[in-house]
This record gives sequence, C-alpha cells and structure tokens, in this order.
Amino acid sequence: MTAWKETVGGRRALTILRSRPFLTVAIVAGVWIAASFTSRGFGSYGHLRYLVELAAVIGLVAAGQTFVVIAGGIDLSVAAIVTVSAVSLPLLSWQADPTGLTAVLAVLALTTTIGLVNGLGVALLRVHPMIMTLAMATFLQGLLIIIAGGSAVTAENPLVRWLGNARPAGIPAGVLLWVAVSVIVLAAMHATSFGARLFAMGANPLAATLSGVPVASTTLAVYGISGFTSGLAGVLVLGMNGQGYVGIGDPYLLASIAAVVLGGTSILGGLGTYAGTIPGAILLVTITALITVVNASPGWRSILFGSLILGLLLLSGREQARR
Amino acid sequence: MSVVDPSRQAGALYWPVQLRRNVGVRGLFAVVMAFLVAYGFLFPGLLTASGFAKFTQSWFPLALVAMAQAILMLTGGISLAIGAMVSLGAVIAATTMTGPLGVAGGAAAVTLTGVGIGAATGFIVVKLRLPAIVVTLAGSFIIGGAALLILPRPGGAIPEWLSDLLAGNTPAAFVLLVLIVLLWKLYLATPLGLSLYAAGENPVGAYRSGVPVDGARIAAYAISGLLCTGAGLFVAAQTGSGDPVIGTAFTLNSIAAAVLGGIGFLGGQGTMRGALAGSLLLSLMISVMFFLGFTPVAQYVAQGLIIIGAVAIPQFRKVQQ
Amino acid sequence: MARAPLLAAREVSKSFFGNPVLRDVSIALQPGRVHALLGENGAGKSTLINLLSGALRPDGGAIEVDGRPVSRMTPACAQQAGIAVVQQELSLTASLSIAENIGLGAYPRRFGLLDYPELAVRARAACDLVGLHEPLSMPVGHLSLGRRQMVEIAKALYRRPRVLILDEPTSSLSATETKVLTELLETLRGEGIAILYISHRLNEVMALCQHVTILKDGTCTADRSLEGTDAAGLVRLMVGRDPGDLFPHWQPSASAANAISVRNFSAGLMRDVDLDIRTGEVLGIGGLVGQGQEDLLLGLYGAMAARTASATVNGASGLPSGVPKANALGLAYVPADRKREGLHLIHSIITNMMLPAFARLPALKLRSRHAERETARGLAAQLGIKGDLDRPAQALSGGNQQKVALAKWMPHDPLVLLLNDPTRGVDVETKREIYMMLRNFAATGKAVVLLSSDTPELVHLCDRVAVVREGRIVAMLERGALSEEAIVSAAMGAEQRKVAA
Repeated sequence: MTAWKETVGGRRALTILRSRPFLTVAIVAGVWIAASFTSRGFGSYGHLRYLVELAAVIGLVAAGQTFVVIAGGIDLSVAAIVTVSAVSLPLLSWQADPTGLTAVLAVLALTTTIGLVNGLGVALLRVHPMIMTLAMATFLQGLLIIIAGGSAVTAENPLVRWLGNARPAGIPAGVLLWVAVSVIVLAAMHATSFGARLFAMGANPLAATLSGVPVASTTLAVYGISGFTSGLAGVLVLGMNGQGYVGIGDPYLLASIAAVVLGGTSILGGLGTYAGTIPGAILLVTITALITVVNASPGWRSILFGSLILGLLLLSGREQARR
Repeated sequence: MSVVDPSRQAGALYWPVQLRRNVGVRGLFAVVMAFLVAYGFLFPGLLTASGFAKFTQSWFPLALVAMAQAILMLTGGISLAIGAMVSLGAVIAATTMTGPLGVAGGAAAVTLTGVGIGAATGFIVVKLRLPAIVVTLAGSFIIGGAALLILPRPGGAIPEWLSDLLAGNTPAAFVLLVLIVLLWKLYLATPLGLSLYAAGENPVGAYRSGVPVDGARIAAYAISGLLCTGAGLFVAAQTGSGDPVIGTAFTLNSIAAAVLGGIGFLGGQGTMRGALAGSLLLSLMISVMFFLGFTPVAQYVAQGLIIIGAVAIPQFRKVQQ
Repeated sequence: MARAPLLAAREVSKSFFGNPVLRDVSIALQPGRVHALLGENGAGKSTLINLLSGALRPDGGAIEVDGRPVSRMTPACAQQAGIAVVQQELSLTASLSIAENIGLGAYPRRFGLLDYPELAVRARAACDLVGLHEPLSMPVGHLSLGRRQMVEIAKALYRRPRVLILDEPTSSLSATETKVLTELLETLRGEGIAILYISHRLNEVMALCQHVTILKDGTCTADRSLEGTDAAGLVRLMVGRDPGDLFPHWQPSASAANAISVRNFSAGLMRDVDLDIRTGEVLGIGGLVGQGQEDLLLGLYGAMAARTASATVNGASGLPSGVPKANALGLAYVPADRKREGLHLIHSIITNMMLPAFARLPALKLRSRHAERETARGLAAQLGIKGDLDRPAQALSGGNQQKVALAKWMPHDPLVLLLNDPTRGVDVETKREIYMMLRNFAATGKAVVLLSSDTPELVHLCDRVAVVREGRIVAMLERGALSEEAIVSAAMGAEQRKVAA
C-alpha cells in the first residue's frame, strides 16, 4: 500500500502535497467552494475573475516583498511606493507620447530608484531594514502631501487605462501582467544563481559573505526589485481605480507581508517561494471579499480581517525553532 | 595581586554594574544634553515652571511608547501595534471616565486592557511560535478595529480636573515618568526582570540555566501593553477627548526612539536609559521643528531623514574604523 | 559497590527526525570520581548530556537521581538535584555582568528582589575557584572566549553541584587556564563530587579521569576503569579499529615561489607584519587564543579592512578588496565556527556545497540542478560524506559539517587555502582525513595556511609555523626547529617571562 511512496515520482508528489504553497492553494479552494454554496454569486466566473484581478495588485507588491524577505530583510515602504507611483503618474502624463508608455517607464524608474535608495541604506550604511524602509515611508508620505496635496488626481494615460480595464481574450490585462511577472520572478528565484544567493544571504549572511556572495550588490538589487514591483502595482491600481490619491497604497503593506507569510516564506529569511505567495495573495483578497459580504462597520471589518489573518497564520505560518 | 576584603567588594556590586551600563550610552547622553542646552537657549521658556511642564508633557507619551518598544526589542521581539494600542487606551479612557465607571474604573479598564492584550500577544508569539512582526501587524488591525468600535469618530471626554492635573500647568508628567523609571529599575532588580536580557540574547543558554524564558518574554509583552494604553490615557487627557486613530504615529516613533537609544533588533542589546534618551532626543527634534515653523508635512520629511542619519552615522563610523 | 550513583542513565534511547542517536545507553556517575565520556563527533555524547541535564527527554529508558528514577527531568529540576552542566555552546549573555551571568537562573533573593551583596559574595567565591580576577561588574561581552569559558565553569560551581558535567571545557582555554581547571577538578573530586568529563584531548583524559564510557554510533562500546588502558586502546574503542598514525608522512613539497607576499600588513589586532607564503607548503599559524591570528587570515581574504606597504597575491599586486575578489585570485577560506560562519544549516547539503559556485557565476545564469547534483555527489564521494544530500546541513555531525565547509571550495581549485582551526571539535577519524587532504593539497603545488589551536597538529603537519603574539609574528619556526616546546615558549613570550614575574 505504501509502495508508491517509495518511487521517485511518488516521493516527489508527496513532497508537493506536504508543501506550504500547496496547503495555501488547498485553503483557497476550500474557501471558494464553501463560499460559493453559502453566498449567492460568489462562485460566478465574473466574481472569481474580479477577485484574481484584485489579487494581482497584492501579488505584484508581494513579489518584491518575497525577494526582500527571502534575502533576510523586510520592506515597510511598499505602501508608500505604491502611492508614489499612483499619484505621480497622472502628473507626468504629458501629451507628446500618445501611448503613455514613456510616463509609465519614467514612474517605474522613479520607484526603482526609491527601492535602490532603500538598498543603499541597508547595504552600505548598515541601517536595519525595518528602520530604513519605515523612515523611507515617512519621508515619502510627507513628500506626497507636499506634491499632490489632499486631492485625487485622474489618470489620462491610455496605457494605464488599458491595463486597468482591457480584457484581451476575456482575461483582465492586470492578471496577464501578474502571470508574466510571476513567471519571471519564479525563474529568477529558483533557476538562477542570483536566486540561490538570496536564500544563502537570508539564512546566514555571514557565511554567505565568506563564501564570496556579493552581499551588497545583491541587497541593492533586491530592494530595487521591490521598488519596481511596487511601482508596477501602483500603475495597475491607478488603472483599475481611474484616480490616484494619497493613501491609495496603504492597504498593501500588511497585505504584502501577510501574502508572503501565508504562502510559507519564513519572515526570518532563507526559506520560501513566490509559488506560495501567489495563492497567499488570492486568499487575502478572498477574505476581504467575504468580510465585505458580511456588511459590517469599519471597526468590525478591521477586527475580522486581523483575526482571520492571525487564524490562518496559526494554521500554517508557525516558525520552526531555529538554532 | 590586589587583596580586597571580599565583604567590602560585595557591598558594591549593584552600582558598578549600573555604571558599566552607562558606557554604551555616554555619547548619546552628551548629544541629548547639548540639544537640551541649545533648546533652552532658543526657547528660554523651558526653565519656567509652565515651560517645563509643557515640555515634559510633550515628551511623556513618546517616552512611554519608547519604553514599551524597548522592552520587546530587548527580548528579541518587536511590536507594530504600538500606535493602535495607544489609540485604544485613549478611546477607553475617553468613554469610561465620565461614565458610571468613573476615573478609577476607567483607569482600571485602561490598565487591564493593556496588560490583557499585551499578555495575549505575548502568548501567541511565545507559546504558539508565530513571528512577532506579523502577529503585531495583524494585531494592529484587530486593536485598531476595537478602537473604532468603541468610538467610531473623535469624541468622548476626560474629566476636566484630570486633564488639568496631568496636562495642565503641573509637573505631573515629569513626576509620573520618574515613578515609572523607578518601577522599571525595581523590575530589573527582580530575577524575572533581569532574565529579559538573557531570554533575548541567548534563549537556549538561558533555558538551560533554569531561567523561565517564556514567562519573562510574555511578561515583557504585558508590561509593554500597559505602557502603551497608559500613554493613550495621557494623550486623551492632553486633548480632553478620545480619537480612534490618534496613536498611529507612535509605532514608527517608538521604534525610532528605541533605535536612536541604542537598542538592537537582535535582542539583549541596549539599555532602557538609552531608549529614554532616544525618545527625549526625538521629542526635542520634533519640538524644535515645530517652533521653527515646519509644517507637519515637512516634519514628516525631516523626521525620516533624521532617523536614517542618526542610525546610519554611528554605523558608518564603525565601518570606517 | 553498594552505593547508588548520584546520577545515572538506564538504557536510554533518543532519536531525532527518525534517526536514532542513542540506543540503550547506560552510564552511572559515582561520587568522588572523574568519569570520562569519549566518542567521535556524532556518537551521541552531547545528546547524552542533554538527557542527563534534563534539556531533552529520553524516548526510552530512565534517568535516575540517587538511584530513584525521575519521570520528567527539566533543567530546573536538574538544578535542584545539584546537577550543573558546562556546555560546549556557552549559555552566557554578553550584555550582563560576570556576576549576573554566574547567578542567572539561581539568583539569591531578598524581598523578591535580586540580592546583589549576597550574589557578589557567592560569585566571587566561584570566580576565585577558577582563577577569574576580572571585576564582577564587567560585562561578559568584553571577555575573550577563553575567559568566557571560565565564567561558564564558575557559573556551574556557583550552584554548588553534586554532579558536574563538562563538555569539552578546554577547547578554547590557554595552557595556564587548563592547568587551573585540572587542579580544580582534582580538588572537587576529593570533596566527593561526581564529575563527567568530555574531551577530544586524550592526554588530558588519561591524566585526569578514573573511569571511562565510550560511545560509538549511539551505543556504548566500553564502560570500564581507565586503569591499565592506553590512549591507543581508547582510540580503537572509539573508532572501532586500530588508530595507526594520525598524521600523514611528511615530505617536503614547498617551492621557492611565493603564493602570497605581504609587507607591513595590518588588520584588526595584527600590526606591521611581513609574511611570505610559499606555494606547495603548509604554513602553520600558532599562538595563544585571540592574539590576532584570525585577523591575519580575514585581512588576506579581503573580509576585513587591511593595510599593507606592498602585497602580491598569486601574481596580482595589492590585497583583494573583498571576498569575491579574493576568490577570483584563488583564495578560499574555511572559518572556525562552522555553524555561524561556515554553513547554511537550514539549507540542503547540495546547496551548501554549491554556494561558492552560485556566488561566482553571472547572476542571471540559469542553474542546472542535474549538474549541481552530480558535482555534489562527486564531492561527497571524495570526502566520504554519506547519506542523502538533500538533508539540511544541520542533520550532519560536526566532523561531516566541517567536511562540507571544506568541500565547497574544491570545484574551484583554489591556489591558497586559508583554514581557521579546521579540526576544532572534530573526531579523530575526520581529523586524519583532513590532514591527509591538506598534505595532498600542498603536494600539488598549492599553499595551505593552517591556523590552529592544536599544537601537535602544527608540529607534525606544517612546513613552517609562524607564532603570533600580541598582533605580531614573534617567531617563524622552520621544519627542523619545530617542536611543541618551541611553539609554546614563543607563544608565551618565554624570554620575557622572567622580567614580568
């Protein structure tokens, strides 16, 4: 009866079945099926598609966050960077370029630079990542209010609008973007030497340094990537929303960290995969949708959200004792 | 070889230990003193009774949250729910103290909430082995939500005499702070209190030495919770009412103050006197910016820069050596 | 003997992750006896200690105190029973003072508060026993590794133990400190304390102990009096065959060419050192613990800021500016603390072995899992690392971990191997394999720099030995002049000793 477990294929299948990403997928599937029965319209294709579209934003922010966390850091400035992207893009949409691509690229260059500054602080000035990125978030918040003031700005950029609203072959463009980013991220993480360096740095930075891993440049790259994907998420959220305003990125800080941890990546670094973050992001959106269905006051919604994340963590996110 | 009478040497252990703890924070103390003197020159009002009262009152809540964060960081933990806890403390105080519970009942409610939520957080982090940063981030939503439930929009009230006592023209804030520091010294002189350091820096070794590691850490979370809701009560007294999001800025500021004060992220590094000095420094900077006419927004920008600078410069010097 | 042993284990078993580590092992500690526990790395010594001290619970069998079985042994419970352990991994807190560390977990109290005067008296008494004269208020973080070890021993004595367990207490001690400890143990034995002593240094064991228990692969292969045994016999029981000669036959292989040459080199504690490292030689670095030897290696390796008047490293002028540069110049470094600096314990053995390759390849080059597995298999076969290579490195014994830390450099064919105490805490068999590797390495025209705290190793393995004291090379002993006495006297500054005394 247990013979199949001994075969190579059987062992591999067993490893996958026991893995954290798979567990997260199973939870998502379970919640979706249960919710479809109890809540009318939840299980419709349109609604599920909408959920995945929302998850794409979290998934993009969490892509950079997964890189940073695996490499042993944390990025608490992602929310502010999403806002920077969504607010500065409408200000940049000049007429000369009819596609709007130039403005998007300029904004992505800006957010990547912000990420690189984070990386500089962490790698060269040796500021703790939490301090560096929190201070960056504070700094950006102030700057944003100075630049944009309190009012919302409308996006006229055609590319951004397309990204937020188009559905080539029935699939939202944002989801397609997410799929493309996911493939690149997974490849970079698990199939390149760059990816292998991240895991080594996260698990034991000292041993990584002594083994010749270029820790400073890798750290720089990781925070740069986080700035880039947060910027991308900002572009997408602007397209879906039509308007950018200060505070638009705020929900994505907890969401990105929760998606990473729910997906089985260790917050201590060195272990994990973006393959878990993807279902983690979808799970978060699903929870939020269910809470909205309940139609509670903001206070209760906040409590439910926090409690459900905590509950899910208890189910799946416990750290193994290390040492 | 020096032959010292053991009994004489014995009497003097506590103070040498305390003195050695100052070594790491001397530079910081000098900077804080320089800032204080400069501040005193710029705003001579500091030396009057009311000026002193106002100054300590603006420092007091920051000092409490810095302590709350420092205790956790000493055990190797951290809290991102500090701001939410302050808000919760403020709304509980503002809704209970003028009601049937009265001031004493309200204060008791604030205390119990702080200790209870703190201990629960500690239990989840320590016994259920979840990472503190994620637990407290999720916790900040739960606690913030609870604050919104109790008081959906700014309101409530604090009895006027209490506001006058705590935040009026009295040195009450300073006296309270001295009292809290003394209580902390007392706690640190108990075996459980001193175990904080061992539990944070070398938990395995501490466990093998017979230290109740889990107990020390959970107690730290409980004390931290109490300090936060206490700060909330004070903030409510300052404003005369409650506001469910008034504490938000304290999360970053508590970490910044603790780190400025030399508390490390890895546990067991730093001292409470350092964290207090760090909070004083931060408070001075905020006051100076306020008096120089910085808009609140520009304060944000400057604060971000100052924190990075203050943390980076000593590190940079270390690398240079 | 009718008396019940103070502490005993009766047929205890323990396994981790399904791997049995101990099988039906018994041991009995009698008062007034120093009992040696010997065995190779991974034989189960540390696990047995953890069972005896309550840090772990046995899967089967029982722990007995005074002949009575204890159902749930915990560290607190062991402390009450008068059992004190000096662990190999220190249990100290760097930010607390010496006194606070010594009393940790067993503070004297008055009105619920820590009784500092009483603590001072008792801590001072414990410190005097081990010859610690530093002020009690000094933070432990300011002490050298050897002094911390003494604090750890004082901490055990402070608890006035009836049973004292010492796990490799002398591995980081100087000769003087070892002497103090040996005399102390003699005294304690005279007072009727039961002592369990674990060491890889057989001469210490022969001199100090009366009874021996030997573990091999988790089972007990000997439980007998030391009387009438010799060191070779003990090794045979540990390894399971005749010991033979530990060191390979020495043949000169050094050439006149320099692999590394530095003038006025300064890094960390090292000040203005001139050094030439020849190709084809094993250059030993000796001296007391913490005189700057490690800084010399790290400075050459680019892992620590260093200055020189002139330097040539494998033909390139100037020191490497960083570790990647050093690797490119053919330098490789194996750190002393393999858990903290050498390995990624939570990662698989394969990943650990391949890390230098990942560090060197272009960042976006695609990996080939198949090729990685093949390379790792080859290395494992070459070095005798058995078992599944997908296991995390923490599943390996200390000796095998050290082999992995060495193996990962081999595919890159380094020209200079910088080794920081590669045999510390490594069992005899692995030691022999490592020595063989190093000699073979030198014979192929590469250079080996061997920093070691084990003097016989320096004498028998090296072509030359540089002895470091207070940041300077005080003697360069050629092969003909090498002896343990020569190294030790240079390390202690014997010629100055009379003046200082």
